Amino acid sequence: MATHESHKKRSGLMDWLTTVDHKKIGILYLLAGGFFFLIGGLEAILMRIQLIKPENDLFTGELFNQLLTMHGTTMIFLAAMPMIFAYMNAVIPLQIGARDVAFPYVNAVGFWLFFFGGVLLNLSWFLGGAPEAGWTAYAPLSTSAQDTGVDFYVLGLQIAGAGTLAGGINFLVTIINMRAPGMTFMRMPLFTWASFVTSGLILFAFPALTVGFFLLMFERVFDANFFNPEMGGNILIWEHIFWIFGHPEVYILILPAFGIISEVVSTFSNKRLFGYSAMVFATVLIGFLGFMVWVHHMFTVGLGPVTNSIFAVATMAIAIPTGVKIFNWIFTMWGGQIRFTTAMLFAVGFIPTFVMGGVTGVMLAVPAADYQYHDSYFVVAHFHYVIVGGLILGLFSGLYYWYPRIFNRVLNETLGKINFWLFFIGFHLTFFPQHWLGLMGMPRRVFTYMSGQHLDEANFVSTIGALFMGAGTIVLFINIIVTASSKKVADKDPWDGRTLEWSMPVPTPEYNFAQTPLVRGLDALFVEKMAGNGKMTPAEPVGEIHMPNGSILPFVLSLGLFIAGFALIYANWIIAGVGLGIVLLTMFLRSILDDHGYHIHKEEVEADIKGGRA
Amino acid sequence: MADQHKTPETNVHRHEAVQRKLALKEERKHHNVSFIMMILLTIVAFYAIWSDKISDSFAVLFILTLAVVQVFFQLYVWMHLNHKGHDFPIWGMATGILVAAVTVASLMGMIWTS
Amino acid sequence: MNAGERLTDANFPAHPEKATLEGKNKFLGFWLFLGGETVLFATLFGTYLGLRNMHLDGPTGEELFKLPLVFLATMLLLTSSLTSVYAVLSLKQNKVRSLQGWFLVTLLLGLGFLGLEIYEFNHYVHEGHTFTSSAFGSAFYTLVGFHGAHVAFGCLWITTLIFRNWNRGISLYNAPKYYLFALYWHFVDVVWVFIFTVVYLMGKVG
Repeated sequence: MATHESHKKRSGLMDWLTTVDHKKIGILYLLAGGFFFLIGGLEAILMRIQLIKPENDLFTGELFNQLLTMHGTTMIFLAAMPMIFAYMNAVIPLQIGARDVAFPYVNAVGFWLFFFGGVLLNLSWFLGGAPEAGWTAYAPLSTSAQDTGVDFYVLGLQIAGAGTLAGGINFLVTIINMRAPGMTFMRMPLFTWASFVTSGLILFAFPALTVGFFLLMFERVFDANFFNPEMGGNILIWEHIFWIFGHPEVYILILPAFGIISEVVSTFSNKRLFGYSAMVFATVLIGFLGFMVWVHHMFTVGLGPVTNSIFAVATMAIAIPTGVKIFNWIFTMWGGQIRFTTAMLFAVGFIPTFVMGGVTGVMLAVPAADYQYHDSYFVVAHFHYVIVGGLILGLFSGLYYWYPRIFNRVLNETLGKINFWLFFIGFHLTFFPQHWLGLMGMPRRVFTYMSGQHLDEANFVSTIGALFMGAGTIVLFINIIVTASSKKVADKDPWDGRTLEWSMPVPTPEYNFAQTPLVRGLDALFVEKMAGNGKMTPAEPVGEIHMPNGSILPFVLSLGLFIAGFALIYANWIIAGVGLGIVLLTMFLRSILDDHGYHIHKEEVEADIKGGRA
Repeated sequence: MADQHKTPETNVHRHEAVQRKLALKEERKHHNVSFIMMILLTIVAFYAIWSDKISDSFAVLFILTLAVVQVFFQLYVWMHLNHKGHDFPIWGMATGILVAAVTVASLMGMIWTS
Repeated sequence: MNAGERLTDANFPAHPEKATLEGKNKFLGFWLFLGGETVLFATLFGTYLGLRNMHLDGPTGEELFKLPLVFLATMLLLTSSLTSVYAVLSLKQNKVRSLQGWFLVTLLLGLGFLGLEIYEFNHYVHEGHTFTSSAFGSAFYTLVGFHGAHVAFGCLWITTLIFRNWNRGISLYNAPKYYLFALYWHFVDVVWVFIFTVVYLMGKVG
């Protein structure tokens, strides 16, 4: 059982470019996603500043449309998705007792594809203007735009989307194949369950988007006629494809947040999650129904009363499993010993906020009423309540909760609470008045409005709220800097955790578990704490540990696609060919060069255990 | 996993080898039969259209059914979905086919509305 | 034992493609990928079905399609599916030369299919049916072309695989790779069965 090849230890930048360690890839996702979150947030604040008073002329017309398009696109594809993948990478292998993900190499490919796709999209700002057809890029607006903005949109997102699909398959296989002994499906922590369903949704929703982007790219770059009515095309094809992907995407985003909230609420109430199996069932049901409701984005298209009614009923049905979850969180807290840490504050703030977003969702699901709400600020308020009030509060909660595990430091609680209150109050100030703006007739996506229409005050309040949210985010970054500069290393289990990710020392060893743990029930670590062990029972003796080799190929492959995409925008076939050549070459190298990984010797593992490092 | 096969050849082992050989022979037979079936199905579908003897609407339904039968042969016999240990692949394909059906139906039926 | 070591008849497992954790992961991951591919092709099929009558002034499918040629292409691909399943049978019997032989036949049949497809497309373009001539043209070439690209990628894949392992026996490291290629090839054939039925045969009845 000798080691195949000597293992090259890389350091510094090269280590990060070649890493296939899920913990490091999680950090990369978090940093890149956080960066794009700042850009998307800045775009939002600029839009709100334009709308602070009637007939403002700071960012008008095309520039406003670009800000609007890039805000939506960036937040969904380049901020929210990667941050979800950050937590999935950082936490899932630890929660299920695995040493790694199923495909460490593909994991790195997924990250770099997302990264280069995001960079490509954002380069549009400096090269002739960003896309301006909205994040939904409806044809014919997107097909007739003359500048290159939409080309950056379609190629950037195509590349990023491929990375997401790779990540989805990776986590499905990881969760199915790599659970520790005793970790049955019905003992998996709810974050793992939610990520499992989310990965499934990614697997079946993203291919539709891939095709949609191909069609749009063919239309723009190669003069195809899918959406051109003059040539027999039909614009509804894009709308259907986009929303067949787009609606599951909403659940792809929110389910992991549900998972985070479930973990946090249970941990900080010192109670087992109420109705665990109902929670699992509700998660799966939401995932399934998520595929059957996309037409509610298209009620005003005129598909007829029968179609609209069917999709209305299906949409409202989703309120049932979601309601199950809300009640279960409340019952989990009921009678628990609640600790209001920052993570818990975000979770508790999440619950009523998300309920409000859900209620307006059911209102929008009524087709007759939707004809009134459609394309108004009411819709903007609704989806920000579910995405910011749901997903982003969930992500913040998860950040404070898992930060010690990811970065070995506990974030400052005082600054954390300031962060929460600024962000939470700012959020409601921003979006609550938008319900009224919508009902009073203010259309979404407009860059200005007239005075004397009773829209002034609500818009002003909304902008002030956005500044509060910005301030809250700044406090978070101050917190991160303050925490990073402190020398105090986190305790390995700072929250009295219940699940496996709190069972190993800080920092997490490269191989996660020196010995694969034996899982003896739901909340595996808590079961052992109750049994008086305080730590996991190993399921195997100490032995050699097999590890995957790092590789620069994922980076090079993604760079190749980036070059190809960039060249396609300018119809430069030679450079596009070179880019695709690089992609094929890296794939060829990957299949030609055997990669058996390397082994960490038993003695090293034993030394780590003795030294308290594993 | 592989370690269990490292034991020196025993009678049990030889017995297992013979059994495996028989199973493979059986499998080869199945593959051949399904190949012939697929060729036949293709010819029948081809003839149904080429001969122009049956009404168009029935022909479409008929050849689509034949295609589905043929895919069943591919998935279950050639891609071994009928073997043990294929629970999750079956789940994956079934979900994929469900979403696929919904997608095709919507793009066929919900774009040319008046 | 190392995954890269050549297997002997004595230690050959019943399922060499799933005998290691890596193999199991690849096996499952690839199946799930095929589930996603099903949705990908369904979207293309849906687009084609929605636009197939939008030929404008250009020729219709009924006028264009040469069924005997397409029938021949179908037979090539069906046979290549059989030869790849023979290769998998050889894999299970640890017969590496026979495995490579069957995959080479598969490759040749695949290349033959591609040749026919190129000839066919070229013919259509001369008939005035191009990618940009109508929505029907765009949808047709996109759907059939996506399938053709899958065949072409498969040819590259199997070439690389045979080339890399020409002088190596079957091991727990390369068995999953062979097996996955066979799955991929069958799937490409499945898609073609539907293209043959939905595009060509149904195109003839309008």
